This record gives sequence, C-alpha cells and structure tokens, in this order.
Amino acid sequence: MIQFLKKTFGGGPQAPSTLGSRGKVEIKGVCRQYPGADKPAMSDVNLTIEPGEFVVIVGPSGCGKSTLLSMVAGLAKPDQGQVYLDGKLITSPGPDRAMVFQEHGLFPWLTVSQNIEFGLKMAGVPPDERREASRKALDLVHLSAHADKFIHQLSGGMKQRVAIARCLVMDPAVLLMDEPFAALDAQTRTMLHEQMQELYVEMKKTVIFVTHSVAEAVRLADRIIVMHANPGRVRRDFRLNLPHPRDFDASDVAYYMKTVRKEIDDEVNAQAGASRRVSEGAGNYEI
Amino acid sequence: MKSEKLKRGLLVALVWLLILGLWECAYRVFEWRCYVFPAPSHVFDSLVNLLGVKTWFGDPVWAVDAAGHSVAFQMNPKWPLHGQGLQVTGSLWNSQLPAAVGTSVLRLLLGFSISVVLGLFIGLAMFRFKFVDALLGPVFLGLQTLPSVCWVPLAVLALGINETGILFVTVMGSFFSIAITLRDGLRLTPTIYRSAGLVFGAHGIKFYTQVMLPAGLPALASSLRSGFSFAWRSLMGGELIFVLKQEGVGHLLAVGREFGDVGQVVGVMFIMVLIGMAADRFIFAPLEKKVQHRFGLGG
Repeated sequence: MIQFLKKTFGGGPQAPSTLGSRGKVEIKGVCRQYPGADKPAMSDVNLTIEPGEFVVIVGPSGCGKSTLLSMVAGLAKPDQGQVYLDGKLITSPGPDRAMVFQEHGLFPWLTVSQNIEFGLKMAGVPPDERREASRKALDLVHLSAHADKFIHQLSGGMKQRVAIARCLVMDPAVLLMDEPFAALDAQTRTMLHEQMQELYVEMKKTVIFVTHSVAEAVRLADRIIVMHANPGRVRRDFRLNLPHPRDFDASDVAYYMKTVRKEIDDEVNAQAGASRRVSEGAGNYEI
Repeated sequence: MKSEKLKRGLLVALVWLLILGLWECAYRVFEWRCYVFPAPSHVFDSLVNLLGVKTWFGDPVWAVDAAGHSVAFQMNPKWPLHGQGLQVTGSLWNSQLPAAVGTSVLRLLLGFSISVVLGLFIGLAMFRFKFVDALLGPVFLGLQTLPSVCWVPLAVLALGINETGILFVTVMGSFFSIAITLRDGLRLTPTIYRSAGLVFGAHGIKFYTQVMLPAGLPALASSLRSGFSFAWRSLMGGELIFVLKQEGVGHLLAVGREFGDVGQVVGVMFIMVLIGMAADRFIFAPLEKKVQHRFGLGG
C-alpha cells in the first residue's frame, strides 16, 4: 500500500522520498506579540515533532494554536524564534507543507478535480499527470463520483475530504490541519476520524492537527500538546501508545482514552477558568 | 408550476391593460388636458412617429368653436377613425428613434469601456496599495455622490460642446462607482482563498491570475452591473443638455420638451427605461447570477 501511495503521489513537486525520513518540524523559542497588547500572545514556544508523528495541539481559544500552524505553513512569521522543517528555516509557504483549513478553503470557481490539481498546476506538472494524480486521490477519499462537481454542490464532510485530497496529491512532508472537522456534525466527524486513521496508517506522514476538542485529540493523536493561553505556551506533552487504526469502541482503547481525556480535560478546564478570569481584566483576543 | 406562472403573468398583463384603458378613457370621456400629461394613445402616436409612421390614434387637435377660432387643445374627437389613416413618412431604420438609439448605444459602449478600464485599474490599486486608497478613496467616495449632470458645465467649459464633452460626462458619472464597488467587493473576498492559494504554491503573477482574479469575480460582476446603470444615467443626462449634431435618445427627450410634445417626452422616457432594463436583464443580471451560482451564493 505504501508502495502504491509512493507511485501515486510521487509525481508531485517534491522528489519521492523515503517515507518517514522527512517531516521533522522544530519550533524554537517562538514568540508573538500583537501591537498594542500589553502581554505577548505567545511566549517561548518550543516543540520538536518527529517524522511520521501524528501530533494534535489542543488548548483554549487565544492560546495561539492556529497561529503556530500558520507559522509552520509559512503564512505567519514569529516575532522571535524560528520554525524549521527538516533542518531548513521556514520563511514562506512551500509544496512540502499542505494545509486543510477549517472552512475548507476550496476554490468555488473550480471543480472538485481542478481544486485537487491546483497545487500540481502551480508547480508546473503536466495535465495528464495531474489528472491521474487527482483521480487516485479522489479514489482514496471515496469521492470519485464527484470529480466534476463544483464545491457548493458538496456536503460539509465531502468538502473536507476534497481538501484532504488536495493536500495528498502534493505529497507533502507535513500535513497541517487547522480544526478541519470543527464545523461538521458529530456523525460526519466520526466518519472522517475513521478515514483519517486509515489514511494516516497508509501514508505515515507527519500530521499537525489543531483542535479544541479533547475527544478528537485522543482519537487521533500519537502525541497531544496541551497549550495554555495568556500568553500562549506549551503546558503538557502527552504520548499515547495506542496503535493505529484505532477501534474507538475496543475496551482497552476506550479505557485509555477515558483516562487521558480526563487528565487533559482537567488541564484545559483549569486553564479555561483561569484565562477567563485573566481575560476579564486584560481583554481577550481570538487567534 | 409553469402554468401557475403563466396565469399570474396573464393576470398582470390584464390588469395593466385595464389601467391603460381607464387612463385612456379619462381623456376620451372626461376630457383631461392632454398637453399636461399624455394619454397612452398619445404616447403610442409619438413613438411610432419617431419610427417614421404617422398615425392619429391619440393626436391632440385644436378644437374649433362655431366662429372658427381655436379654443382648446384636446384629443381628436373623431378617434379612432379619422385623418389620413396610417402614413409612412420614412423608412423604419432611417427614422429618428433607431438612429438615436444607435448613437446613444455607441456613446454608451465607448464611455462604459473607458470607465471599466479606468475603474478596474484604480479599484485594484486602491485594494492593493494602502497609500493609493488613503489618497483616492475619500475623494472617489465623495465624487461618486455627485449627480452626473453636475459634470456637464465643467465638460462644456473645459472640453466644449462636442462628443468628447459627452464622453467625459459618461465616464465621470460611472467610473468612481466602478472603482469603489470593486475595491469594497475585493475587501469582502474571504482571506482564506489567499491563504489557500499561497499554501498551494500560487506565487507572483499566478497568484493574481489564478486566485485573486477568480476570487474577485463576484465583486467584478456587481461593480460592472452598477457601473453600467451609472453610465447609462450619466449619458442620458448629458444628452439632455448637450445639443450635438448626432442626436441621441436624450436629445429626443429635449426636443419633445421644446416642442411641448408631452407624448414624445413620456415615450422617450419609456424607451430609456426599456434599454436600461434590457441591458441589466439580459447581460448584467445573468452575469452576476452565473458568478454567484458558481460560488454557491444566493441559491
């Protein structure tokens, strides 16, 4: 299967690489301060993410988790500190990082397959190769029947699957996901969690996934980073030694999830209470 | 569903016919003063007259008293069977109305094109560069509120009573609105398209042609739509005041006023509305709708 994926997505702008050997993200001493704010929005965030790790960042709003993701994507710059991908300083967006946005961010003027091919087109990949790649990616997210539809004709869950396929064709070293399932209904979200598990097992790419849902974090992550708000910084770093794909209903998995979830819930709730008290005086900002 | 629509359409037409009929009757039966406000037949007469056909359906005549003095200007009492019947005074295409419509449409196309090019260029610059926006934004917003006929005196003094002057009025009347509407529309474009474009490798010129331009299509469509109606209104206002060799639709209105032909005045107004509506209905509304549909907006 990995062989198949390599063949499928090796045509991207990145030379096919040995999977698992690329996708190391290092966040070193990142600070961020908004003009006019008396406190920094993010202060001295340090994090090293190993190749192939599924890292979920959770935290209350205002903790800077989405901003951190934007920095890895190259859309935002830290005021202090650096972000590296495989030892290279990140200064701008690049084809080695692809992102799934919360509001999908698909282009409504393009069809589903044109959306998926967009990144390859920008990279100058010839049309037949692009078509082949998008066909396979659509197959992978079970949307082959919808290739020629426009985005507004799809349901919310389908849109996010297209957004994921758009990333997969790029064969990125890191997949960035910014609360991708937050706007979906519970059933669709569960279905996408399962599909995400399958995809992750198949491709073993580094995934950085931001969410405010602890349940979502426990379902998907190898590692959960709990962030703290006011100022944003890393509070806890959990590792989950549960195999993928996970059967969410298996008793040991359920027990483990319950335990970890309780611990994180306590952490997040305590913070949320604290940050509410702080923000009443200091002014609250969403990131 | 379809027959429902047809039924309603027929009913609307019927009620309008009734209103027009009553209106006409008011002149025939109660002798309303037809030189103050025209009867429908009077308007019809004037319009076909502009098309080179003389009829006497509603032609007002001077009523004569027993001593042979004209006493009142009124509807022809012998309607509808009187006079010489139909009389063709010229070929249809060389008659006044088609020629005037042609002239006005040509002026409109030229003026609107210039407005679009200038408006898009400056609107885009205002969106892209904060300094340009700070410099021109407030001025444009102010000038946009200036009624377009207020440009006429300046045009007369600066450019003279000629085609350039009328072009100037048309352009000034529409291009500020196109620039401002485009800028505002682009500002409303979701930033997520920009982020997604950047993440997926759209750089430099490709970023503008492949992301910003298509993302701004709804803004572009609505700015063209409102810009067109501004251009049409400005041109009509300009033609009403400018007297040029080439007569436009606006001139027919002015001529109607000068000759006290109230039927022609209302008839030409009707033609103006018709042209404006046709352009909006058949060109700009479908354009806007198509773009919005593609974007999943407004059903």
